[in-house]
Amino acid sequence: MSARNRGTELDLSWISKIQVNQPAVLRRAEQIQARRTVKKEWQAAWLLKAVTFIDLTTLSGDDTSSSIQRLCYKAKYPIREDLLKSLNMHDKGLTTAAVCVYPARVCDAVKALKASGCTIPVASVATGFPSGQTHLKTRLEEIRLAVEDGATEIDVVINRTLVLTGQWEALYDEIRQFRKACGEAHLKTILATGELGSLTNVYKASMIAMMAGSDFIKTSTGKETVNATFPVAIVMLRAIRDFFWKTGNKVGFKPAGGIRSAKDSLAWLSLVKEELGDEWLTPELFRIGASTLLSDIERQIYHHVTGRYAAYHDLPMS
Amino acid sequence: MAATHERPSAREIFITLEYGPVPESHACALAWLDTQDRHLGHYVNGKWLKPEHRNSVPCQDPITGESLATCLQAQAEDVAAAVEAAGTAFENWSGLPGASRAQHLLRLAKMIQKHQRLLWTLESLVSGRAIREVRDGDVPLAQQLLQYHAVQAYTQEEELAGWEPMGVIGLILSPMFSFLEMMWRICPALAVGCTVVVLVPPASPTPLLLAQLAGELGSFPGILNVISGPASLGPVLASHPRVQKVTFCGSVEEGRALRRTLAGKGAELGLALGAESLLVLTEAADVDSAVEGIVDAAWSDRSAGGLRLLIQESVWDETMRRLQERMARLRGGRGLDGAVDMGTRGAAARDLAQHYAHEARSQGAQVFQAGDSPFFPPTLVSDLPPASPCAQAEVPWPVVVASSFRTAKEALAIANGTPRGASASVWSERLGQALELGYGLQVGTVWINAHGLRNTEVPTGGCKESGSSWHGGADGLYEYLRPSGTPARLSYFSENLNYDTFGLAVPSTLPAGPEIGPSPATPYGLFIGGRFQAPGARSSRPIKDSQGNLHGYVAEGGAKDIRGAVEAAHQAVSGWVGQSPGARATLLWALATALERRESALASRLERHGMELKDAKVEVELSTRQLRAWGARAQAQGHVLQVAELKGPVLRLREPLGVLAVVCPDEWPLLAFVSLLAAALAHGNTVVMVPSGACPIPALEVCQDMAALLPAGLVNVVTGDRDHLTRCLALHQDVQALWYFGSAQGSQFVEWASAGNLKPVWVNRGCPRAWDQEAKGAGAELGLRAARTKALWLPMGD
Repeated sequence: MSARNRGTELDLSWISKIQVNQPAVLRRAEQIQARRTVKKEWQAAWLLKAVTFIDLTTLSGDDTSSSIQRLCYKAKYPIREDLLKSLNMHDKGLTTAAVCVYPARVCDAVKALKASGCTIPVASVATGFPSGQTHLKTRLEEIRLAVEDGATEIDVVINRTLVLTGQWEALYDEIRQFRKACGEAHLKTILATGELGSLTNVYKASMIAMMAGSDFIKTSTGKETVNATFPVAIVMLRAIRDFFWKTGNKVGFKPAGGIRSAKDSLAWLSLVKEELGDEWLTPELFRIGASTLLSDIERQIYHHVTGRYAAYHDLPMS
Repeated sequence: MAATHERPSAREIFITLEYGPVPESHACALAWLDTQDRHLGHYVNGKWLKPEHRNSVPCQDPITGESLATCLQAQAEDVAAAVEAAGTAFENWSGLPGASRAQHLLRLAKMIQKHQRLLWTLESLVSGRAIREVRDGDVPLAQQLLQYHAVQAYTQEEELAGWEPMGVIGLILSPMFSFLEMMWRICPALAVGCTVVVLVPPASPTPLLLAQLAGELGSFPGILNVISGPASLGPVLASHPRVQKVTFCGSVEEGRALRRTLAGKGAELGLALGAESLLVLTEAADVDSAVEGIVDAAWSDRSAGGLRLLIQESVWDETMRRLQERMARLRGGRGLDGAVDMGTRGAAARDLAQHYAHEARSQGAQVFQAGDSPFFPPTLVSDLPPASPCAQAEVPWPVVVASSFRTAKEALAIANGTPRGASASVWSERLGQALELGYGLQVGTVWINAHGLRNTEVPTGGCKESGSSWHGGADGLYEYLRPSGTPARLSYFSENLNYDTFGLAVPSTLPAGPEIGPSPATPYGLFIGGRFQAPGARSSRPIKDSQGNLHGYVAEGGAKDIRGAVEAAHQAVSGWVGQSPGARATLLWALATALERRESALASRLERHGMELKDAKVEVELSTRQLRAWGARAQAQGHVLQVAELKGPVLRLREPLGVLAVVCPDEWPLLAFVSLLAAALAHGNTVVMVPSGACPIPALEVCQDMAALLPAGLVNVVTGDRDHLTRCLALHQDVQALWYFGSAQGSQFVEWASAGNLKPVWVNRGCPRAWDQEAKGAGAELGLRAARTKALWLPMGD
């Protein structure tokens, strides 16, 4: 990954005057989807690019080492070789950006990836995922254990109580401690935006998380009733830009939850391109948390290459 | 646009992640042009009209210059044929029950739905506007307009009782207005039973296609006729004797010229002029969202004009940074590309923008351009000296002119300090501030924290030089209606009227014999600023009674007195507007009571002018009734609209016109004076009135009560030579509206002179009015004309 965000001192003036107009952001979110689209070669290239942004994720109660192994294999070979060949992309070493699992499965993932000889990072969710409603001490310990097991990226959830009650200093301190517990591992902070109540809170929580040193800010756990939506993303991206303008630090963005179709992923790419620019379109600064998205992208690529719609058995399962 | 390069491979795009072309096929548009052999005529009476021996002009692809078709240019006889067809169709169409017209409009909406792809590709191909805007914005709205107005037609007999369709409507569109502007106006016209002739600029096939779609419904072929021709044909259509109302969409100067041409020709004139909009960005705004508002307003192909941008000084730097950053990401290109923000308008639009940018730079402004456009890039002008010519001129597409303000009060002063008054948006998260600005801006539409929203139910129009015609909602319907029983409008044009000399000189008046009679001394002087004053000319005119004896002298008012009266009225504006409707009603009722007390004096004054005492008493009684009725109505102004696709209300406000000048008729000298006065005051206007010429004394009697009851300057009454006073008022640039009830020549002059500041005028064309009848004296028409509408959009959400 690129230079890490060291964070800054807490400066509440960065969030005190902020105004977010929800209806206007909603309109912008609608427009962005209507005004940008890519077709043909562009679509294929963008979809392949989207693959490299995916944090291929499994967060199920029934995950076992064999399902993790299958996931890791899919992360290494996300698109059928012959399809890549016909696009002249087979020599690019195309993989997903990371695999993302529960802390208890980190070992399985590290082992499986090592066995297949690839360097895809393993990300682990932590800190009482998905609700964050456990003691701070155990949340911190969870991070340390996941890092010990070999996770190089930690997706932490923030304490929504602190946001909803306006305890910004406390939130800053907690995330600071998460950052410290991560050590060398990258910190991705899940804001659980579906539970923050307003877009203004989304902006404030984003800014606090970045000041506290998050390397990524992430929309949701995938377990809230409302997950990654465009209006929320617009607010977070604007916060990332403001933080960059203030500090020169680039913080990454990760939407997660409910991103299932290839078409959606294209819209996410153009959203980031429009709001932050091309510099953010790298796996160091942009991730998409998803589990089923990859197979839809593969189907679209299949269609682009062959001109035919794929049957389910045409593509390997993940 | 990248289309001209060799196509990059997926491998290359994987690295660059650039956007590619997203061309929308326009094969169906070309196929439709082929059905006309690439040669378009006019669509009249349900048939294509392609007369011989006419000039034709090419219709070109705005980006390649490739000729798509040739278009015939109409001549006067083609206009006559179209008006003839519309006139014939009117007989049937207006006689139909509303439900049948509703049915027909719905069929047309369905027809548009069936051919929507043809419609949007043709429009985008020819106009060069981004197809996304036409496809997702204009075409669905065109259908909604028909559906909405079908409902209005259905309920017409009930909701619009007492009103009838005007007749044949002439609609003139200038090149910058799209087919949607036509739909906004033909829908209400057709709904209420009018028929339409539309004159479109050469090389605009979309309106012709719409006319064809309407024509192919079979029944009622002549209700919509479209002819294309040069701008010079506008006055020909407008002056055609069968055309009862002309609606013109175009530039301010063209509108002014048309207003002058049409003086005395009989037709009503509705003007929608200019396309500039305004955006006020305060420090309490969500700046990023406001920047998107600027994009919506100027660089999204929705609006035809440019934008004036007012930014609060404290957020100037931040806004400029964000705006310039955003501009760099705008994409321009071929309109038919599905992923561009801005399409490619014709060379004329480019030249205009180029010229403006060049002039602005030479006048000292900074010009910033960014974004990827092969044609004309989004342009931001700042630091334009306020006194420079460019700062006064209308801002063209796609230019944004930014300037700063310090306080909300200053923002209002700057925003209201232009002659334009179409639309504006206010960006502030502080509710109180947003409403203060929203109410204070002198424009037809205000959006709070949004820009460019539109809906069929919301009236849209303007004030000042943007013209005062309305479309959408109920206001749009009244544009094409008149009170039942009003005679058709005939020309009263007089060739002999010399505009330069009409009412210029005041004939001198001399002593006219002894003042006879037992009556109390007549009040003397001009009633200005709340008291009787001597006229500037220091001379008087005699008023004779019905026997020819001298009744008394009234002051001879002149230009200087009018100036003083208008000033006094302006000073009273803010106080009177600030009064609650309830307070206004109370004052009008108090005046009514005072009038009652004065009944016998007033009746005897009227009797001396030849009325039966019984009738005179009736007139006084009716006058007091008018004051009370309008007082009561003062409280029922405006309402709230709930519209689709918007969370939050739209307020339809009825705002005062400002200083209203009224030249009262000779008939019903007291009743007409009081009726007009009461309606004007109830709606919050301040007035300058010229009472009846033959019998001004009752009005002066009433002034004695007004001196005691009303705030100074609210009502000003100037007696004197009516032609002269009319001239002064009509040419006064700071009078916001003028009602004239007098001679045909006076009416013609008023219409001609109003072109100066494009004030709305209401003239009687020399025809007396039955003021004692409900519909004429107190009717809805008076209420409609006494105030202007403003739509205030209040989107909500957190």
